[in-house]
Amino acid sequence: MRTIARRMFLKSSGLALLTLGIPPEFLTRALLADTAAVTRKKTLICIFQRGAVDGLNMVVPFAEKAYYRVRRSIAIDPPRAGAEESALDLDGFFGLHPSLEPVLPFWRRGELAVVHACGSPHPTRSHFEAQDFMETAAPGVKTTRDGWLNRLLAENRCAECDGRTLAGGSAHAADHAVGQAGLAGDLLRGVTIAPELPLALRGTYPTLAIPDLQRFGVAGGRDRSLETTFSELYRSSSGDVVSGAADQSFDAIELLRQADPTRYSPREGVEYPRTPFGRSLQQIAQLVKSDVGLEVAFADLGGWDTHLAQGGSRGQLANRLRELAAGLAALYSDLDDRMEDAVVITMSEFGRTVAENGSGGTDHGHGNCMLVLGGAVSGGSVLGTWPGLEAGQLHEQRDLAITTDFRDVFGEVVVRHLGATNTDRVFPGYTIDSRRFRGVLV
Amino acid sequence: MVRMNRCVLAQLVLAVALLGWYQPAVAQSGTSETSAAHLLKRATYGPRPDDIARVMEIGATAWLDSQMDPAHIDDAAFETRLSDYDAATMTPTQLLAEYPPPRVLQEQLGENDSLTPQRLRQLMREQGVSPPGRILGELASVRLQRAVYSERQLEAVMTDFWFNHFNVFWGKGPTRWLVADYENTAIRAHVFGKFEDMLQATASHPAMLVYLDNWRSAGSESQAARFAGRRGGTLGLNENYARELLELHTLGVEGGYTQEDVVEVARAFTGWTLDDGREWGRTMRRELNQRRSGVPERVDFKFRPQMHDIGPKTVLGRSLPSGRGVEDGLQVLHMLALHPSTARHLATKLVQAFVSDSAPTALIDEIAGIYLETEGDLGAVTRALFTAEQFYDRDSVDAKVKSPFELIASALRMSGADVGPSRRLFGALRELDHVPYLEPAPTGYPDTNPEWVSSGAMLQRLNLGLALAAGQFDNVNLNLLAESSMTIDPVVTVLDALLPAADTEQLESVVRADLEMNANTTRERNMRTIGLVLGSPEFQYH
Repeated sequence: MRTIARRMFLKSSGLALLTLGIPPEFLTRALLADTAAVTRKKTLICIFQRGAVDGLNMVVPFAEKAYYRVRRSIAIDPPRAGAEESALDLDGFFGLHPSLEPVLPFWRRGELAVVHACGSPHPTRSHFEAQDFMETAAPGVKTTRDGWLNRLLAENRCAECDGRTLAGGSAHAADHAVGQAGLAGDLLRGVTIAPELPLALRGTYPTLAIPDLQRFGVAGGRDRSLETTFSELYRSSSGDVVSGAADQSFDAIELLRQADPTRYSPREGVEYPRTPFGRSLQQIAQLVKSDVGLEVAFADLGGWDTHLAQGGSRGQLANRLRELAAGLAALYSDLDDRMEDAVVITMSEFGRTVAENGSGGTDHGHGNCMLVLGGAVSGGSVLGTWPGLEAGQLHEQRDLAITTDFRDVFGEVVVRHLGATNTDRVFPGYTIDSRRFRGVLV
Repeated sequence: MVRMNRCVLAQLVLAVALLGWYQPAVAQSGTSETSAAHLLKRATYGPRPDDIARVMEIGATAWLDSQMDPAHIDDAAFETRLSDYDAATMTPTQLLAEYPPPRVLQEQLGENDSLTPQRLRQLMREQGVSPPGRILGELASVRLQRAVYSERQLEAVMTDFWFNHFNVFWGKGPTRWLVADYENTAIRAHVFGKFEDMLQATASHPAMLVYLDNWRSAGSESQAARFAGRRGGTLGLNENYARELLELHTLGVEGGYTQEDVVEVARAFTGWTLDDGREWGRTMRRELNQRRSGVPERVDFKFRPQMHDIGPKTVLGRSLPSGRGVEDGLQVLHMLALHPSTARHLATKLVQAFVSDSAPTALIDEIAGIYLETEGDLGAVTRALFTAEQFYDRDSVDAKVKSPFELIASALRMSGADVGPSRRLFGALRELDHVPYLEPAPTGYPDTNPEWVSSGAMLQRLNLGLALAAGQFDNVNLNLLAESSMTIDPVVTVLDALLPAADTEQLESVVRADLEMNANTTRERNMRTIGLVLGSPEFQYH
């Protein structure tokens, strides 16, 4: 209903003017004017550590004797004052991998929480199955074809304007009052800065994969005339599925052109890693700052499948964690006070074996840990129940057991942070119950 | 108005179109241009002008008959092209030797634990071998080459359909070394044969055994399970294959089976496992320890009685006597292949994939009926599908959105492109999320429209067409770009080639207006025309 209204608005005025080469200033105003002040959105930024990160070396249970017994060559030393290559003490029991030093300040400020011994109850040790299960939030159900973030966006939107979650309800009501609601609302609610949509964002609700904000558009945004011609072609074809999707992408291009997120440079002194991951986070920050209605962003970081030569405080895993931490720290500093409205969570399909293998690496395991960052996060503690690493405490006698279902962490974030009220379809076959929340956000 | 492929009977057909007549299917010779084009759009990767003329001349049935006898179609030109792709013609054993797993190199060369990626690359160079990751690029390219160049088009189309039906995923375990053999021996060899043969070939192929874990499924009381138990491991029944066999491969999710049937079927298939040339206990121990397995020299199917559950079983109400071996599984496959639910499930999928998303019930009934009458003869089913009246129904013409693979293949085939090994082309499949062999879920890639189009995907489609037109793909030359082939009128040439027998009046006028405003040189005109037509709404459908 609202979609049609907006579509007509854009088509009949905005694009018509564009074809004439007149910049539709009023369109810019209508879309963006002062909305930031009233309707700053809650944002969720998901980071998928694809390939199964070794959570036991990411957040090290240095007080566990068993940890050092079975990880002779790859264990991280317990914290030692002045020693650079030892764990960074969190609470006398757990410590961060030294490569994660850039996020330690957030812990100290109480804006970083860790949920340990967390993961999927499904026993699979196959990357592809476990990633799918985490992205569909439907462990064990292989026929689920849409992602949990897509369903989250579809289920939690304003019935009146078809956009936005109900988070910050009063601000949203104010939007309606001034007739601005939804204008910038639905096109860019769910975005990844990558060539492909991750399964988590796929589904019937329109979400967008933007390979690069600077080149987003027809022919990389270099030739407006092609865009005009294509939009004419698709407008004149009937209301089929292909034209509908094409229309949406032209609208998104237009919206991004008006908002021009690339004009936001990182804050002074902020340096993102010069990697696809770093660039992805930087552009997510640009979208957040330009108030285009982003609610859910997704970024991938791979390279965690450390079967051989994983390394300890230095080496393969240390390098990957350094990139992760540098990216997180840059994003945090760049978004600055906007982190009050943002939550960043990290996830990975499963953990790795407690014991190192014969190749100086670790194999596919079970329980893992997740990081949660943000101004509203109730950080500074390692949450969940620690099952221990001694022989009788392991999952299938080899892996970290799971005491927190990953859906309870997702659930807490979407309910308490995004204000989602409808979680039944987001987590099919699983009831989100606040009594199981770990207190990531209070 | 309808723009005609200026060939046979153009004026007559034009008159028919002007009167708004609909030309129904003519199964015998004298097939109309519309019908011929429609058949070729669905049963091949895109009609070329000669193809349409040929079908019009000999008729749909004769064309289908010749296509269903692929052995008698000379395909030398395509086969020559295969020489560019090493992995295409290798057996699993050769692939394992030429694209060895890193662990194998490490073990063979006595390298210690700390094998860095740099050292690994160096070792590979020294040994003259390639990383296994390369196999995917080769095989995906071959899939595209076949789609664009093989004369055995229907065989290629049906192979893709059935591969997708019996999907396996390149990335699971040793599947990467097995998937080419799987496609050739389990799928392609049977696309016009009996469904039961294909079912049996997939059930016993190592790729499927690995992909759906049946290779490590053992009766809970079997000798092998007890052996594992004594060593602190677990080996028992794995239902993964049994469930997908019933739900996806045969009966369908509403095909009338229960969870007990799944368990009983799983029990019947215990012992259907692998022989990788190594002593079995060692292989099993490695697996139980979740170590990456060492050096398989080959991977073959083997039935191992010591893993089989010899107790009596009941599947779909039928008893399987105790004390048997591999016969249990074979009997289950036979029952399933001839089951009415299977006929219906397969007919529905075929109609959805080749006729229309809405899958008219009458046609499903018709196809399912033929399936049962012929005891699952896929040749007869394929013929019936492409000659059915409803196949040629106006509502089903140009009603299917091309999958990304079909989009790319048809663009290349219909433009007469010259395509070699191309990184960018592989990248395009990846961006559009349709790399052959890379769908992890056993459901395979979707067969219906809405799943292929999202706003982001549409933009990628438009940009793909523009990049192809601009000659930005390595080793891809759209011959439509050649000046000589565009001398008459580039717009007419391009529309004739890419959208034969279609109503393109509106498209043509928009394109011409665009050229008028935005193109100054011949090269620009050509590039824009091709790019706009490849990205047009019309070209997204077939």
